[in-house]
Amino acid sequence: MLIELENIVKIYNQGRVNEVTALDKVEMAVEAGAMVCLKGPSGSGKSTLLAIIGCIYPPTSGRAVIAGRQLARLPDRFLTMHRRRTIGFIFQRFNILPRISVFENVVLPLLPLGMSPKERRALAEPLLERYGIAHRRNFPAGEISGGELQRVAIARALINDPPIILADEPTAHLDSRLSRDFLADMLALKEEGRTIIMASHDPLVTEAAGVDRVYGVHDGRVTKDAC
Amino acid sequence: MKKYFEKQRNLLDYALASLWRRKGKNISVFLVFSLVIFLLASFLFLSRSLQVAAQTTLRQTPEITVQRMVAGRQESMPLTYAERIRGIFGVRRVSPRVWGYHYNEVTGANITVMALAGDPELGREPLAEGAFWQQGEQGRAVIGQGVVKDLDLGGRRTFSFFRDDLTLKSFAVAGIFAPETNILTYDLVLLDIADGRDLFGLADDLATDLLVEVVNPLEIATVARKISERLPDTRVVTRPQIQGTYQAVFSWRSGVAAICLLSALSAFIILAWDKASGMSPEERREISILKILGWQTPDVLQVRFWEGFALSLLAFAAGAILAYVHVGYFQAALFRPVMMGWSVLRPGFDLVPIVQGGDLLLIFCLSVLPYLAATVVPAWRCAAVATDAAMGG
Repeated sequence: MLIELENIVKIYNQGRVNEVTALDKVEMAVEAGAMVCLKGPSGSGKSTLLAIIGCIYPPTSGRAVIAGRQLARLPDRFLTMHRRRTIGFIFQRFNILPRISVFENVVLPLLPLGMSPKERRALAEPLLERYGIAHRRNFPAGEISGGELQRVAIARALINDPPIILADEPTAHLDSRLSRDFLADMLALKEEGRTIIMASHDPLVTEAAGVDRVYGVHDGRVTKDAC
Repeated sequence: MKKYFEKQRNLLDYALASLWRRKGKNISVFLVFSLVIFLLASFLFLSRSLQVAAQTTLRQTPEITVQRMVAGRQESMPLTYAERIRGIFGVRRVSPRVWGYHYNEVTGANITVMALAGDPELGREPLAEGAFWQQGEQGRAVIGQGVVKDLDLGGRRTFSFFRDDLTLKSFAVAGIFAPETNILTYDLVLLDIADGRDLFGLADDLATDLLVEVVNPLEIATVARKISERLPDTRVVTRPQIQGTYQAVFSWRSGVAAICLLSALSAFIILAWDKASGMSPEERREISILKILGWQTPDVLQVRFWEGFALSLLAFAAGAILAYVHVGYFQAALFRPVMMGWSVLRPGFDLVPIVQGGDLLLIFCLSVLPYLAATVVPAWRCAAVATDAAMGG
């Protein structure tokens, strides 16, 4: 298994008056190359689950093994390094920095790696071409369309060539045509052998072709095959 | 190692681009920061210049000056007084001095003319050109920078003054004092005592006052008291008295100015801290995104460090250069009224800005370092925890 979650609990603000249990005894396993959907309403714990799979923070308790690494044993520094190598993120609203160019957004994850401008160009240009945004490379990201933003986000998620792609409510701000384009792109990535995990309550996503399994997330609990 | 430097270059590039992206806010911070540095540096450069100038003055102040007073006015002094002073135990040397003023009707300025006997202390001051006259050599003068301008000498090296009977006495310029002695020599014409007596029409057995040197500097007050007792019609002024007056005035003034400027600097640092710690939602979101994209907390901090360092270093350089120009070229026009009420001691002189490494380091430590802390610490607090601003609910 590429992703194994056993008895995962995540509690925010533990021991304080505003303590919240975001995930409660979550069990989940995802094979390499699968496309999985997390389905549930806002505030159900989908993003927290993605954050744990994405090595952003470790669980409060339980065993989480992502691409062969057990998260609870990794300090923050190594979590970040592991995330950099294995995870590509596509955020809700895409989280593109609007004041820098499309190209600069795409190569952002490479800057701390000490890559030269030439090396960065060599990695970014094929992705810009593949997603049809090469002609926008020098545009400030705040000045391009929603569909182009979405493709910038995908290109940025792929710049490190990660085996796992996580997408958090990726179609929440797209119309149905752009949503379908996005899902087609995800399917293409799956066919390349990448593992895709999408958190969404959009039926277009949860019922999309190529989705191998849908997990229901409700009040921090996860149920299998929610479709 | 190559990767490390490439990474630093990438982060520096990103930081500079980030500064430029928020240029409106950063330019205003730069202007205020430069202004604060300019004020602080101007004050430090000015007080350092005055201190050096004052030290020069005090070094040249006679240990004891004796003047004859008649009806409350200073009168010329017979040289027999010198013999009576020489008889006091502890006196090493008594030198007569002749001095007065030459009024330049063209420029309306007073030039100080001082004539000394023997080997004058002033003869040890550095010269910009020429040399001091040999003992007994007459008709030669060493003049200050201001005199060159005032008499409009240009390349000419002779000048004349009127005696009291309106006949002319000519001098050859033997040397010109160096600019760093301006506070002492700017408006000074230094002559041999025989030339001074000739110019002012003073008899050979008279002097304007007497300069007394003592064997043991700790005995200055005692020797001065003995002179007063022996010559009751004289006024005796000691170097410690002059120093005391100077210190009282200068220290009080510089203390007040320093408090005002440090208050301004503190206000700026508090403002900077407030600005930096209250990170905007956009800045928090950017840090969150960078963290999720695989930036380590130190990477984020390095970007913030380079941003703060570039901005504060530029402001520091701009402020310090402007302060140097302000003190050197504009003669510290902003602070002169505060610091130089003492200019009555000597009519105008050109300030030479004295820049010491310690002063620059002090300004750097009081401005750049707090600003860096004010920008990096909040970013560290944010970067250590913030991923929430980029994640959904």
